[in-house]
Parts: sequence; C-alpha cells; structure tokens
Amino acid sequence: MMDYEETETAVNFRSRAGKSMGGLNLTAMIDVVFLLLIFFMVGTNFRLGEEIYRMDLPPEGVSPESYDPFVLEEEPLRIDVNSTGSGRSDLMIRIDGPYDQPSNAEQLRSFLVQHQINDISPAGLFLPDHPIIIRPTLTTRWEHAVDVLNAAARARYTNISFAPPQ
Amino acid sequence: MNSSRRRHPAVIHANLTPMIDVTFLLIIFFVLVAQIVEVEQVDMQLPIPEDPVSELATEDQRVVINVVPDSAHGVQEYRMGAMLFTPDAAGLSKLADQLAALYQANPDIQVNLRADQRTHYQHVEPALNAIRQAAYYVQDTSFVARVNLAVRREN
Repeated sequence: MMDYEETETAVNFRSRAGKSMGGLNLTAMIDVVFLLLIFFMVGTNFRLGEEIYRMDLPPEGVSPESYDPFVLEEEPLRIDVNSTGSGRSDLMIRIDGPYDQPSNAEQLRSFLVQHQINDISPAGLFLPDHPIIIRPTLTTRWEHAVDVLNAAARARYTNISFAPPQ
Repeated sequence: MNSSRRRHPAVIHANLTPMIDVTFLLIIFFVLVAQIVEVEQVDMQLPIPEDPVSELATEDQRVVINVVPDSAHGVQEYRMGAMLFTPDAAGLSKLADQLAALYQANPDIQVNLRADQRTHYQHVEPALNAIRQAAYYVQDTSFVARVNLAVRREN
C-alpha cells in the first residue's frame, strides 16, 4: 500500500512538472498593465496639441473721463487682412500707411520687428505697446486673422486688437 | 482509483472576477470622460499658425465657447458648455447673459474661444463681442474681459 502510494506520487509529480512549464500567473501582470494604462491616461492631456492666445478685450464703452486731453492719442497701426482663396497662404495683408506692403505673415512679422523701438534699434517707429489693430473683412477666414495676430505677437507687440469686420 | 484521480493536478486557469471588475470600471470611466470631452470639444479644425507664440492652457476653471462651423464658411450655432445658441442677435444676447451669470459667480473664470480655421471672421467676431458684452454687465468697473483664442500647434 505504502509502496503503491509512493510510486503514484512520483509519477504524478513528474507529469505535473512537465505540464506546468508554460503556466504563467497573469494576475500580477494585468494589475500592473492596468495601473500603467491609468497612469498614462491621467498624465496625457486630452486636448493634444491645443494651445491658446491670451487676450484682454477692450471694455464695451470707454467712459469720457478716462480721456486725458493733454495726452496725444497714439495713432494705431491698422493692418487689413483679407482672404483671397481657400489655402493657408492665400491671404492679403495691407498695412495702413506709406510702407512696403508685406505679402505674407512672415514678412509682416519682419516689418514689425524692423520698425520696433527697442535697445537694438532706438530709431524705430513703434514702441512695443503701440496699439495695433487688425481689421479682417467680413469674409476673412479665421486662420488668416489668427496668422496676422501671431505675426504681431511674435514681433513682441503687446497691444493687439481685432476690429469689427469691415 | 477515485482518490488517485482527485490528486491529479488541477487545471490552472486565471481567476477572471477581478479582471472583469476592473474592466467594467474602466469602461465606465472612458464613457464618462468621453462625454465630458465631447461637450467641451466640438469637432473642428482649429487654426494652425506658423511658429505660434501661443501657450498651453492652464488648469484653471474655464468655460469653452465653440463657434460650431457649418459645411461652408458660416456658423451653425454657438455653443457654450452644453448650451446651444442660435447665430442671431437673440442667441448672442442670450450667450452674453449666460456668460455674465458665470462671471458673477466666478470673475476669474477663463473663457476659451474655439473657431474653425475656415469660418469667416464675421461669424467669429460676434462671439468676441458677446464676451465683451458679458463683462460689461459685471458691475465692477475695473473688470477686464479676457478671452483665450484656441489654436492647434503643429508638431
């Protein structure tokens, strides 16, 4: 009886050792995988690649007492922008004044940089807080209006606003 | 014979119960998050400026105004959170009223404006105007309306 039991056990042991080679305990792995999944989801921004331009909107009606009669109003630089087609570069920019007209947003940026008064070029025309008014037309595509805004912001101007559509 | 059978090795199989628990939890999580994101983020193509000086949005409390584009260059409706507004004078004044109520509750609330790159400016400007109007309703005279224009950064 005793011998019989022992041989059975030995046979069993051998067969079990042969089969259980491929058996993996998956529980711990699944735990870790889900933990990583949640970690990456929480760590990821859901609005991938979306960024913002911060703007202050001018107040609705400027009250008369805020005007100082002894301060000369700075004449704002007006930039007209119009879409000429449906492409990204199909825009027409016109700077109000006797300036060389830029043909794209990059040229507008270099124009604004060249004419800025700063430490490098003290003989410029516009201070960094010189008011710049962007005047899109009724049918200007929003991306072109934003392109012009971006060009002015890249040239480090701080007082940029959108005019009502013309 | 019977007892020797019982001692055969048990077939190894995973205990599925906790996995199913966790899976259902994840499904519910995804469904909820997807709804929240969808309310804020209407599907549209934001402008992609070259070399943008835009910045990442902060995690402050915010409200998102979407200028929902139609198939051409127009606007289908204005959408703030889950509220829809018709693109006419009545709808826009309602939008300003709703936003003014939000401003009253929290003057530091961030207003993000999302508009499609193809949308014509004449449809975006009324939304800017409505935000300015809402700020005008706030009694504090030093209050300045702020708006964040959403763009997409190209990698």
